[in-house]
Amino acid sequence: MSEGTGGNLNRRDFIRLTFGWAAALFATGASAAAGARFMIPNVLYEPDRRYKALKPDDYPEGVTFIAEIRTFLIRNGDKFRAVSAVCTHLGCTVNLSADGKGFHCPCHGSQFDENGAVVSGPAPKSLPWPAVSLSRDGRLVIDASQQVPPSQALVI
Amino acid sequence: MPKRLWMLFCRSRVGRSIFRVGLPTSNLERMQAAVSSFVLHIHPAKVHARTLKFSTTLGLGLISLYLFIILAATGALLMFYYVPATDQAYQSMKDLEFVVTAGQVVRNIHSWAAHLMIVFVVLHMCRVFYTAAYKPPREFNWLIGLGLFLLTLGLSFTGYLLPWDQLAYWAITVGTGIAGYAPLVGDKMKFILLGGHTVGQAALIRFYVLHVVALPAVMVILIAIHLWRVRRDGGLARPEEPEPTPQQMPAIALPQTKTYGLMELARGTTPSVGAPADDLVFTWPNLLFREILIFLFVFALVLVPAILWNAPLEEIANPVYPPNPAKAPWYFLGLQELVSHSAFWGGVVVPGLIVTALAVLPYLDRKPRGVGVWFSGQRKVAITIFTVCLLTMLTLTVIGRWFRGPNWALQAPWKPYVAAEERRP
Repeated sequence: MSEGTGGNLNRRDFIRLTFGWAAALFATGASAAAGARFMIPNVLYEPDRRYKALKPDDYPEGVTFIAEIRTFLIRNGDKFRAVSAVCTHLGCTVNLSADGKGFHCPCHGSQFDENGAVVSGPAPKSLPWPAVSLSRDGRLVIDASQQVPPSQALVI
Repeated sequence: MPKRLWMLFCRSRVGRSIFRVGLPTSNLERMQAAVSSFVLHIHPAKVHARTLKFSTTLGLGLISLYLFIILAATGALLMFYYVPATDQAYQSMKDLEFVVTAGQVVRNIHSWAAHLMIVFVVLHMCRVFYTAAYKPPREFNWLIGLGLFLLTLGLSFTGYLLPWDQLAYWAITVGTGIAGYAPLVGDKMKFILLGGHTVGQAALIRFYVLHVVALPAVMVILIAIHLWRVRRDGGLARPEEPEPTPQQMPAIALPQTKTYGLMELARGTTPSVGAPADDLVFTWPNLLFREILIFLFVFALVLVPAILWNAPLEEIANPVYPPNPAKAPWYFLGLQELVSHSAFWGGVVVPGLIVTALAVLPYLDRKPRGVGVWFSGQRKVAITIFTVCLLTMLTLTVIGRWFRGPNWALQAPWKPYVAAEERRP
């Protein structure tokens, strides 16, 4: 190493330093990246986003809470709709309000109207409405990965 | 008798190989004891007399350290029975409660020590602020202290999920929800923290590893640096002292027949052998015995509530029904109160600003005014700002703890507490 030569680096030192630092930085960076990527799971052992519910006639008129997927199923005659009961604020489960026409979150007091839109409280978004469809064997399928407007219903 | 036996052991070949110095009898040996022992060499051989005064630090940092040691010991014991699986975690809590000998009390100690550690770490931080002990050259140690404070909160938070009861489950659901509101990286951060989209098995094992390995490891390293820096930065912060004016030593007629060394020669009328020079006192026994005494005090402080009151354990976690109201642990209630107004502003911006302000504080406020003095009149502005922030946080915590009822509605604390009716068809 020729140090103190007034900033003039000879070729050998230049190559040494360049490769040395490049190797060190690459090793550090690659390890950090691999470590970070390691923490992101590739397989999730979570329930399917599509949930197969009972047959349409098994549900009474009005609102039914399906606990497994934290979703309200709303039956209005032959129309079926579903709305998520997971509060968009921080993930608590909302309750049906006293008059049955809206939703209340017990954790931080968010309130939603019958269309799931925020009325008051800290929730930033309205409650999502998953798509409801009918399976081949005549059962309701609630698909949380597909979102529909509140007015869209499955008509049997 | 035990003392004599000990001395005898220390003088034996084995004893000398372990303890270079036995029970010290002279000042030289006191010095050697502090320097040569691994455990004691954290201390300098001599410390400033101010260090011994209780009002200098109120012992708050040391108490925090002791609580951490108690937590590490009881935590290791709990690990022998705890299983971090969603279908077994709660059962192992019940086992500790009903089956394991002294299991309940070990869990209680762990729980109480954790609560107390947050209290004492905050108090320690307040002490350092109010005595201006963060000013140069101690500004980096303040930063490390801030890191230790955040780690303490992180350890409490990760430990909270482990019992897998209702309180744990919903506190973590809310807490990780807050993380999700961080700009840009929020969603990814929440996903990595939980190992998925919801609080489940992946989240439990992640929090467990963070709680028992990752965070404590960082904590131990930071504590070591924190303590080392206390010494390197010149011991406890103390006010500027005027240079000691050299006192005129009156000429003493010493007998010419003896030879005198200058060791331990103190200011005064006579060369007083054995008396400490300046304001320094020997670590052994002055500081050491006080430290041991404080440990006994801390242990009692943890043990008494641990015997009298059991650590809370609610019903087993139910991912469908949150308790109403779902409250975070008390030290996060101020945050929850903020979050109940806006998750982004209350959960991300305000805490972020607080931490940033605390981090840059010693680099902005560096004039050596009021160092080592409680509530120095020269720091009115800084003290006012800090106190207002502290009281605000305290008020929010009190509101969250006592003035929030079902659906997080405001209610007077003396109103009968009725859990809201669950309305789900």
